[in-house]
Amino acid sequence: MPTRAPFALPNAFSDTDTGTDTDPISQLDVASDLLSLLRTTTTEPRPDTQLEALTLAVAADLPVLLWGEPGIGKTAALTQLAAALDLPLTTVIASVHEPSDFSGLPIVGDDPAEQGVPMAPPDWAVRLVRAGRGLLFLDELSTAPPAVQAALLRLVLERRIGALQLPPEVRIVAAANPRSSAADGWELSPPLANRFVHLQWTHDHEVVVRGLGGTWPRATLPKLAPERLSQAVDFARRAVCALLAARPKLVHQLPSSESRRGGPWPSPRSWEMTLRLIAFATASGVSRDVLSLLVRGTVGDGPGLELLAGLDRLDLPDPEELLADPASAVLPGRGDLRQAVLDGVVAAVRARPEKARWDAAWALLVRALETGAPDLVVVPATTLASLRREDWDVPAAIENLAGVVTLSRRADQAAARARTATKGRR
Amino acid sequence: MSTDTTAEVSTGAPGTQDLDLDKLFAARLQAARARPYLATALFALHTVASRHVPTMGVDRHWRCYVSPGFVDRTPVEELAGVWVHEVSHLLRDHHGRSDRVAKERGLTGPGERLRMNIAADCEINDDVFGDGLVKPEGVVDPAFLRLPEGQLMEDYLRQFQLGPRTQELAWLDCGSGADGLDREWELGPDGAHGLSERERDAVRFRVAQGITGRPGSAPEGWQRWAEEAFHPPQPWRELLGAAVRSAASAPGAGEDYSYGRPSRRSAGVPKTVLPSLRRRPPHVSVVIDTSGSVSDVELGSALLEVAAISRAVGGRRDLVTVVPCDAAARIAHPLCRAEGIPLMGGGGTDLRTGFAKALRSHPKPDVIVVLTDGQTPWPDSRPPCRTVVGLFPRQYAGSAWDEDDPDYVPDSPPDWARVVEIG
Repeated sequence: MPTRAPFALPNAFSDTDTGTDTDPISQLDVASDLLSLLRTTTTEPRPDTQLEALTLAVAADLPVLLWGEPGIGKTAALTQLAAALDLPLTTVIASVHEPSDFSGLPIVGDDPAEQGVPMAPPDWAVRLVRAGRGLLFLDELSTAPPAVQAALLRLVLERRIGALQLPPEVRIVAAANPRSSAADGWELSPPLANRFVHLQWTHDHEVVVRGLGGTWPRATLPKLAPERLSQAVDFARRAVCALLAARPKLVHQLPSSESRRGGPWPSPRSWEMTLRLIAFATASGVSRDVLSLLVRGTVGDGPGLELLAGLDRLDLPDPEELLADPASAVLPGRGDLRQAVLDGVVAAVRARPEKARWDAAWALLVRALETGAPDLVVVPATTLASLRREDWDVPAAIENLAGVVTLSRRADQAAARARTATKGRR
Repeated sequence: MSTDTTAEVSTGAPGTQDLDLDKLFAARLQAARARPYLATALFALHTVASRHVPTMGVDRHWRCYVSPGFVDRTPVEELAGVWVHEVSHLLRDHHGRSDRVAKERGLTGPGERLRMNIAADCEINDDVFGDGLVKPEGVVDPAFLRLPEGQLMEDYLRQFQLGPRTQELAWLDCGSGADGLDREWELGPDGAHGLSERERDAVRFRVAQGITGRPGSAPEGWQRWAEEAFHPPQPWRELLGAAVRSAASAPGAGEDYSYGRPSRRSAGVPKTVLPSLRRRPPHVSVVIDTSGSVSDVELGSALLEVAAISRAVGGRRDLVTVVPCDAAARIAHPLCRAEGIPLMGGGGTDLRTGFAKALRSHPKPDVIVVLTDGQTPWPDSRPPCRTVVGLFPRQYAGSAWDEDDPDYVPDSPPDWARVVEIG
């Protein structure tokens, strides 16, 4: 019998009389006590954009793919999430499985010609179905060979493993290492990539330090407000349809570059996922930053940003409402948004020119001048002036815009000087 | 010039002059008229009067700090140029790029940040002025440092050191938006009127959209920026890796089900023979253009990369062969002797002989990787295996090539090959 357990503590820390010759079993017990002490961590609520995005996507029942360097805490985040949602976690390392593990193993029965050969699911799937709910974590997805990825398509999209159907309460999250760090990695095939919400998982220095100190951020399910559900669906449909109606090319766009095909790209399927995400984000009131991560992770950066820009415009005050009551209008403080609103107001007047609306628009411009930078008002004022009909009297409010005219003239003079200066040099 | 000093707001400390907002905004209006596609970004900037900044400066949260004295002594048309200059720092993400360069190359200290500011200024100043915008007094441009125009900040950064020549630039300060170093007097992330990261992206996106939507009105530098704003050119290593991997891993090139060996699952299914998944490691032939126009450094780095990638996809070293080729292909060498492969050559190129040589070798390659500068005739028909072309870009392949030598146009690689630009 060895005199020391592998985990034996130095003598100084041993409290037995004999000191050296302690029982190895009790030493292991001490070791496991120490381990359980180390494992005892608490959680704290903490604003964490990427964790919020992950939780929201999981709540919306969309498969999420976490991209991140090895060892960055993807698995730890998943464990926390499963605990927070009270779901049992099933981890499957995709790269060590064969395609038949996901499509089912053939079992030859008594009379194959008569009864066929059933495809038996692996045990983890059976247990998952029996539990009825759970978080299925497919790790190392990018190192799975193409044939395994093909088999995973069915699992991720149709939630079928062999003859088994995963219950709706099961959520799917996958993780992959970026190609640069996975030396033996494969490109994710475009069809598989298109089924996921891609999230870039990076570590936050503070979160890591605080976590190693014993306190990890807590994932909370976004609280969906029941009274906002139908409004949220409405908003989401309006946002996606408005964009796709104006930009038909964005509906389906397989990226041309090899390395971008393994990421998010727009297709009817991923647009439907986006719609669902916007509805969930609206109903739960999460910040635009979270939604931005999710939308760009679903349809890609370009189309995602275009959609978000559209959402910003949906958020701007309605020109008709502003025209109806210019006195109490609240204009956005940011210059570019303010200009967009003023342009919208002038466009509304142009669409239906009436004297009352024209006057209201002038009142709005004066209000904009009083509360912000004057150069923003120049272009809308010029356009609005050009909309004047012969029998319309110039409103008194225009007096207040005299400064704008000076400003505009000053810019014109400077531009003229600049033109001569640049011409002279050439 | 500055008779109508009607400043509406002044956030400067007591004792400073008031900021002439009318003049500043007239300049912004002129800038927006001269560069309509930048209007969104110009209007998104929030102005803060500050006497800590020598002229004008920006922080990474899209606030613009303006010295009242500078506005007073500078004519409107020059102020317009400064507006465009400052907003360019933000649009081109100079703060983020500075941080990345600092981390990559281990550059620390305020001196290095000053160098980054100068390099960033060079990148901007060589193409934003003119065409209705006056170059302000005393701006730094590549010519001042005796450097060529049209390069990126990262390239300029390698090419000069602080010294007597840059002595008079020590006052230069475009704020943390230009070089990534936070200043004490800036309002920081918690201050008022900053843009969140998503809002910054949205502004940059709208500007990029304005440029790509109306090509022709924007100079070439801005168009290139707009194309790359949200899809930065990826490092060629990654692209080449992706191309080689997908060429070597696609069905038919090294992986299939075979009955040659029973599946390990067969024991569970008596009386049936299941196919098993077998990987034959792909054979990779690397055809290397050794003509005079490709430098040894380029070849060395690319060859190492291909070897590493093909090893990673399961090709053993002995399955990678190298075919040096200029006007005639020489013998094919197995890569295990790569140290001693004589990359001889020089003179003209005809890669067709290289292709033929690679295809004649036994066993036949699953993938051919060609490393070349593209100055070669290409085979007429598609070779019977996947082809990846690593292309070393040449100057005349860029913007000015037809003016330099209108008679010579090298063939571009055929469309059956996956092309990756290297370097």
